[in-house]
Amino acid sequence: MTVAARRLLIVDDEAPARERLERLVDELPEWTSIGSCSGGAEAIRCVEQEDPAVVLLDIRMPGMSGIEVARHLSRLPTPPEVIFTTAYDKYALDAFDSHAVGYLLKPVRRERLESALSHAARLGDAFLSELSLKARGLERRRHVAARVRDELRLIPVSEISYLRAEQKYVSVHHAGGDDLIDESLKQLEEEFPDILVRIHRSILVTIDAIEALEKDAVGGYHVRLRGEGRTLAVSRRQVSDLKSRLGAKR
Amino acid sequence: MSLVGATSVSTNSAQEHPSKDSPDSIFLPNFCEARMVLAVVLGSELLALVFSLVGSADVGFLTELARISLLMQWLGLTSAALLCLLKPPLARVSTGVATSMILAIVLANILVLSVGVVWAGRWLGGGEVLGMFPADFWPFVFRNLFIGLIVTALLLRYFFVSHQWRHHVEAEARSRIDALQARIRPHFLFNSMNTIASLTRSNPSQAEEAVEDLADLFRATLNDAGRLLSLKEELELTRIYQRIEMLRLGDRLHVDWDVKELPMRALLPGLTLQPLLENAIYHGIEPLDAGGTVTIRGRCSGERVEISVINPTEKLAVDSRHHGHRIAIENIRERLNLAFKGQGTLDVNQTDGTYEVTMRFPVTG
Repeated sequence: MTVAARRLLIVDDEAPARERLERLVDELPEWTSIGSCSGGAEAIRCVEQEDPAVVLLDIRMPGMSGIEVARHLSRLPTPPEVIFTTAYDKYALDAFDSHAVGYLLKPVRRERLESALSHAARLGDAFLSELSLKARGLERRRHVAARVRDELRLIPVSEISYLRAEQKYVSVHHAGGDDLIDESLKQLEEEFPDILVRIHRSILVTIDAIEALEKDAVGGYHVRLRGEGRTLAVSRRQVSDLKSRLGAKR
Repeated sequence: MSLVGATSVSTNSAQEHPSKDSPDSIFLPNFCEARMVLAVVLGSELLALVFSLVGSADVGFLTELARISLLMQWLGLTSAALLCLLKPPLARVSTGVATSMILAIVLANILVLSVGVVWAGRWLGGGEVLGMFPADFWPFVFRNLFIGLIVTALLLRYFFVSHQWRHHVEAEARSRIDALQARIRPHFLFNSMNTIASLTRSNPSQAEEAVEDLADLFRATLNDAGRLLSLKEELELTRIYQRIEMLRLGDRLHVDWDVKELPMRALLPGLTLQPLLENAIYHGIEPLDAGGTVTIRGRCSGERVEISVINPTEKLAVDSRHHGHRIAIENIRERLNLAFKGQGTLDVNQTDGTYEVTMRFPVTG
């Protein structure tokens, strides 16, 4: 091995795909693979510990998609460069091409791998969120990531009860407690239109977490959250929208 | 020639062609058929009825009907016989020429018969007494020719339009079947290529087998879209597909085959079961971290086959059943429907954690 081989991590849920990439990387003198992971959560832990320069990331994986993994990785203090790999994902490829973001098509050619590695770049969060919007249904996140000191805490979207915009951050109230995330309500509302509903300028609630919509003595509306017994005020202009959403659900 | 005849022909001949003595290129129905002769008789009688209803009152209605019927039946049957005999040469010329020739043939026939009727009346002498034969010569002949021209032209137009329409319907059905041609998903193709690329070095004999399997599967997709396969062949293709996917997904994929009851010789459109397994894997197994088991269950009761493909789904399945999936399901449903003339069905049943697709069709072949 040469003196300063750069370190990379391979993430793919399919064993033959991982093996092949490992072998291709082994043949490149200036690169060394620090190993491979079969899933997103494992990959995030590995990146936090090993701090590789580049991650080769499969887009379509069970549990957490490659695009979601990339979005979480971009919140790390020193995020790695990311190169997506895919066999075929039309929408994602369109997005990559229009933003000149490098990607690799499987089966990966050695020359393409070399060239992609030499041009690898950190992917901006704006691009990544646009990407998951474009490929919604296929690549939407199942988690939001909160940064707790230098560590990422992944909060499953299914466990969120509501989100409230604070001055700089959004606080997420979920089954495991409260955390701050660095995202906008608008962005989250667009990404999860069928799960979240806006009840107030600064509050999004998970529809399934709403137990009841209550009217108080002075005509104001509140939602009661399942399990917690906590209520949140609904702003006047959101009432009719909320009612129709709840009606459609039941 | 008759309106009734034309309709019966346009609905029936779709199944009857191709037959050698009725070239399909001409818009004329086949007047040699017994069914068509009956239609001509009925049609002629209907026209006779119409003419006698508007007819003159100097003889009684029944007499009027009798004499017009007699003439119309003669005209109808002789014209039909002429067109039956002359259809092959007529089929060789262009539509315009054929139309003119048919008009000429029918008008000549009317002329001959009309003149014949008048002469017969004179020869029998008692025509006016019986009220059966026309007294005047030229008005009678010209009236007949003129009516004949109009009626024949209208009928030819009708035959032409219904022929065009039938052609159009057939072409549409053909293109619909072609459009339903089974295809390999690009996702599957490229992933398989990647798997093979990996195996070429690590396990060459497995790679070789995978290439053979992929070739078999591809050949099946290149078959004529309307072709039927036996259940045995279709199950084999589905197993081949499963083998390729197993290489990629390893022990995340299990398929539970329960198909012993199925009549292996029963026919079905090719690549109908395989895409159901493909869907089950793509939408059901692949998104699951730990993978899962797809169950393929075949039942046969009496003369109907029922095959279900059942897969687990994600608990938090957001809109994973997207567009492409629905198209695939619709495609298979349509092909079953076309192949079994409405007797083949496909039903989807989704519960909380499972997704079940069932196809049912009659045993044929």
